Amino acid sequence: MYSSEVRERDGIEIDVKGKGNMKTFAAIDVGSYELAMKIVEISAKNGIKVIDHIRHRIDLGTDTFAKGKISNERVDELCRVLREYNEIMQSYKVDDYKAYGTSAIRETENTMIVLDQIAQRTGITIEVLSNSEQRFLDYKSIASGGDSFNRIIEKGTAIVDIGGGSIQISLFDKDTLVTTQNMRMGVLRLQEQLGKLNIRPEQNESMLDEIISSQLAVFRKLYLKDRAIENIIVVDDYISAVVGKNVAGLEHTSVEASAMDKFLERVRAKSVQEVSRILGMPEENVPLLFISGILLNRVAKVMGARMIWAPGVSLCDGMAYEYGEKHKLIKANHDFEQDIIACAQNISKRYMGSRRRSETLEQIALTIYDSMKKVHGLGKRERLLLRIATLLHDCGKYISLVNLGECSYNIIMSTEIIGLSHVEREIVANVVKYNHMDFEYYEAMGTDGALDKKDYLTIAKLTAILKIANGLDRSHKQKFRNIKTSLKEEQLIITVDASLDITLEKGLFSKRAEFFEEVYSVRPVIRQKS
Amino acid sequence: MDFSQVDYYTNRELSWLLFNKRVLGEAKDKKNPLFERLKFLGITASNLDEFFMVRVASLKDMVSAGYKKKDIAGMTAAEQLAKVNEETHKLVEQQYAVYNRSLMPLLMENGLHIIMHHEDLNKEDGAYVDRYFADNVYPVLTPMAVDSSRPFPLIRNKSLNLGALIRKKSGEEELEFATVQVPSVLSRIVTIPGGKETKVILLEEVIERNIHKLFLNYDIVCSFPFRIMRNADLTIEEDEAEDLLQEIEKQLKKRQWGQVIRLEVEEGIDDRLLKLIREELQIGQEDIYAIGGPLDLTFLMKMYGLEGFDQLKEHSYLKPQPVPELLDETDVFAKVREGDILMHHPYQTFEPVVNFIRQAAKDPNVLAIKQTLYRVSGNSPIVAALEQAADNGKQVSVLVELKARFDEENNIVWAKKLEKAGCHVIYGLVGLKTHSKITLVVRKEENGIRRYVHLGTGNYNDSTAKLYTDVGLFTCSEAIGEDATAVFNMLSGYSEPRNWNKLSLAPLWLKDRFLHLIDREKAYASQGRAAHIIVKMNSLCDKDIIEALYAASAAGVKIDLIIRGICCLKVGIPGVSENITVRSIVGNYLEHARIFYFENDGKPEYYCASADWMPRNLERRVEILFPVEKPQLQEKLRHILDCQMKDTVKASILQADGSYEKIGRRSREEFNAQLNFCMEAREAARAEKDMGNKRVFIPEMHHIEE
Repeated sequence: MYSSEVRERDGIEIDVKGKGNMKTFAAIDVGSYELAMKIVEISAKNGIKVIDHIRHRIDLGTDTFAKGKISNERVDELCRVLREYNEIMQSYKVDDYKAYGTSAIRETENTMIVLDQIAQRTGITIEVLSNSEQRFLDYKSIASGGDSFNRIIEKGTAIVDIGGGSIQISLFDKDTLVTTQNMRMGVLRLQEQLGKLNIRPEQNESMLDEIISSQLAVFRKLYLKDRAIENIIVVDDYISAVVGKNVAGLEHTSVEASAMDKFLERVRAKSVQEVSRILGMPEENVPLLFISGILLNRVAKVMGARMIWAPGVSLCDGMAYEYGEKHKLIKANHDFEQDIIACAQNISKRYMGSRRRSETLEQIALTIYDSMKKVHGLGKRERLLLRIATLLHDCGKYISLVNLGECSYNIIMSTEIIGLSHVEREIVANVVKYNHMDFEYYEAMGTDGALDKKDYLTIAKLTAILKIANGLDRSHKQKFRNIKTSLKEEQLIITVDASLDITLEKGLFSKRAEFFEEVYSVRPVIRQKS
Repeated sequence: MDFSQVDYYTNRELSWLLFNKRVLGEAKDKKNPLFERLKFLGITASNLDEFFMVRVASLKDMVSAGYKKKDIAGMTAAEQLAKVNEETHKLVEQQYAVYNRSLMPLLMENGLHIIMHHEDLNKEDGAYVDRYFADNVYPVLTPMAVDSSRPFPLIRNKSLNLGALIRKKSGEEELEFATVQVPSVLSRIVTIPGGKETKVILLEEVIERNIHKLFLNYDIVCSFPFRIMRNADLTIEEDEAEDLLQEIEKQLKKRQWGQVIRLEVEEGIDDRLLKLIREELQIGQEDIYAIGGPLDLTFLMKMYGLEGFDQLKEHSYLKPQPVPELLDETDVFAKVREGDILMHHPYQTFEPVVNFIRQAAKDPNVLAIKQTLYRVSGNSPIVAALEQAADNGKQVSVLVELKARFDEENNIVWAKKLEKAGCHVIYGLVGLKTHSKITLVVRKEENGIRRYVHLGTGNYNDSTAKLYTDVGLFTCSEAIGEDATAVFNMLSGYSEPRNWNKLSLAPLWLKDRFLHLIDREKAYASQGRAAHIIVKMNSLCDKDIIEALYAASAAGVKIDLIIRGICCLKVGIPGVSENITVRSIVGNYLEHARIFYFENDGKPEYYCASADWMPRNLERRVEILFPVEKPQLQEKLRHILDCQMKDTVKASILQADGSYEKIGRRSREEFNAQLNFCMEAREAARAEKDMGNKRVFIPEMHHIEE
């Protein structure tokens, strides 16, 4: 069985002694309206400790969302501040840093050029986060809250992640993330849209409500159905800044959902200057606070949520958490892999996939994967990708039984799987696609630049495994449920119960085995145990 | 209840004049050693000069700009000017009464003879003085005569001059005006050698005696000293006048630069001469001060330095004592880790603060040093330490406030030097003056980054730290450390933090914070609980704050204010300020600390700050209020406040009629808070030293047999 990997994962030794037990890490978030950097110390002993949090207001979003490009002046400003950040990092002698760009950078037409320029001028390499990666990090930062988070998600919970460009709603059911959807109504984008409408200021609110409500109605119909959502966890820069301050009637990090109405009433009744003074917030943030408030209030109403929880975390926290996890400085207190798998399972369910079939296929594929470990040289992450590929291996049949490969590919490529990067999603989609179609070689693949050679090889290796696993279960009768595999010299011996009739599988196997042999130089052989 | 009525407030200029009067009181006080009294009189003179150049000049500007807005007490600029003039004339009379009637005779008694008029010189001394004139004075004089071909010369601001009427020896021609500046490069005090007692004569007398040598072909009809003050130097002096300047900025496009705003002449000046000067300088009768003694008494501060009069100086106050927690070469960081340390300067030495930065500069574990510098002494050891730190590869960020009034150019010089050494220098913030006093040292330790913070009420100036009373706090509290980091991020132009743990900052949050703290006491009082505010600061003139104090007092809050200087609040107004007391301490050291105590329903809160309750502090400056939370340190602050409330020697109490009265003899026991602090500081240092000795030597009590 595949449990050996899991044990290894659970058995991660936390390094408490020695010099490597503390890292200073800088997390830089190149956001739509803010360039933020958190300097943190991560250690097994103290967890994540924030040492410095530097924020510079820079409106990249308006440039991107309105004009499609970041202007030269903004790039200059970005570079100037990043150079300063670089100095600050040096002064703290940070061990490592990550800089992530989100929607403003992602949606810019000239992303590559801008990023290269920044790297040349500042020495800081910005990586672009896909929406799902970004939200996954936000999600991780919330989950880093530990017990309180685990308690909250025992009940139906929605994470509402309000960004500049878009918002992300993720639903939890019984501890696990079940779906996550992105809607293009981030606060900056909404403000932008309102600006274009040429309406009286008093109309702003009703107009906003209308924009928000129509989008939410669709979400509700498709994803919410009759799920009961008790709690909302909000991640944003405005409401979170206010919640917990003893000024706005929002005293604690969690408040009754009804408090939002009262809060909005108060904000409405006061001038921007007054609100700014009372809440201790820059004046230019007040309109965005108001939009966030309306948005959140509307979401809470639609879901019928009772409590709103604002843990006040940001992308930077998620980045620090990810770094700590990766360097084995902190232990995950939530099984994020399970979330990714649950998400994939839900997608499969939506497209009428058979749970039992997927499970059989998963078992076979992973058994092969594990016994081939020395040959393929892939790791845990690729194993997860293979699992997801098995779960989604025939989702395309919902659209067409003939063009199964293409359709599956397209479904996967247009469905957000939280926790997977864009590249990873593309790997999964390709593995699923070539499971059904003849493999195209790198030279012919034409991957629009997103995939590199390494990714290509991963696709080939995973496809080879999925292909034979799929071949072994051709009859869909789960005959190969309890196979054993062993790697002997140039052969992969697949042993099955002798009592089974495997004529069909054997007959179809050779073609699939050819590709496997091509990839691994190992010939898969079926043996019936007598 | 409307607490904003104008008759509930005192005009700030008039309140300031009362402060200067209290300083003059020290010159009058027979209990003070004679030379200290001389110095205090000198201080009143230099205070008054500054007051004229800055405040009076600005009021004049407002009048000439037709500015109509009234002040806190409902007075127009013209009304204020008139009243200020009236009061200043009285004050000047008192200054010279003290000089002539009290101090001069006493000086004579004590063997210091100031020869008031050169006519009184004996022959021998006269000959010496003439020689002195010929050798030292004559070469640097620039006599100027005025006639049809030579216009009236520019008389320099604050300079002392001799004016003379002269007539050509040859004929009966008209009287001409001539003038010569008493050179400021030479000492005003000329010591005449020989004899048992010290004899001195003022330089202007020496010149007057020899003035005929300057105008050879003329007869000197008469000659008298005169001194003028102009409003021209206002740009450098804007520190004190910024509120006024801001008010009139919009209306005053073109100021009358160089306008003469005060003329001092010797009493009995020739009418013809005075008329000539007055007309030439275009000055009104009310701005002319006829002086019954030497003009410009600031020379008395120089007189203090005369040798041989040590017994006439104050010696009961001790030099700054060591801080028990931070003796000599103690590792400041280790000590601060043991617990917060509160220092009281100048009773305790400022040296630990300098050491803090010196040690940080050398410490290999220190990553960064950040500091705000407002006024720094020349040749500052702090600046030197910062330079060294940068040399050693630390990240050093310094905010240098160039707008601070004093020697701006000098500031630029050393700021440039810091920059050259590799420090990151921020030259102030646009539109704001950075008045906060904060230092942050970031140190990498075993358990991660630790931040050490020094917060103070006084500038990082090792010279003034010997004369100003201030408090300073060393802490490595995480909460304050985080805030301190946020402060410097803000000063570097980054966004404000999401929230503050402990610190409150002006201009954004501080005023609201103070109003909140005052209102909280009011709320407790309204519920019938004990409520008490004790505040010590330099000046109180913010209207919102005073209104809040009135409201709190009316609700039953007991309010004790210890305010050295300006106080626009009035005490004893029925239903408004009956529960408020105001006292001012003017003593050997300049009271400078700002300490705030709020009873908070039995859970007292203590704060210290760089800010006074003045609009300029709360609205146009970066200031920091910090809490002192450790019970032992709170006790120290309470003790400081209690002692000052107990003072019977240097304290004056504000009366309902607006005057200040010294407690003086009315009390049975004498208590001088400043002196008491000196003694206590010495005791504390001694105790620690003894302890230290004990720790080093552990005597063997039993003889161990082998």
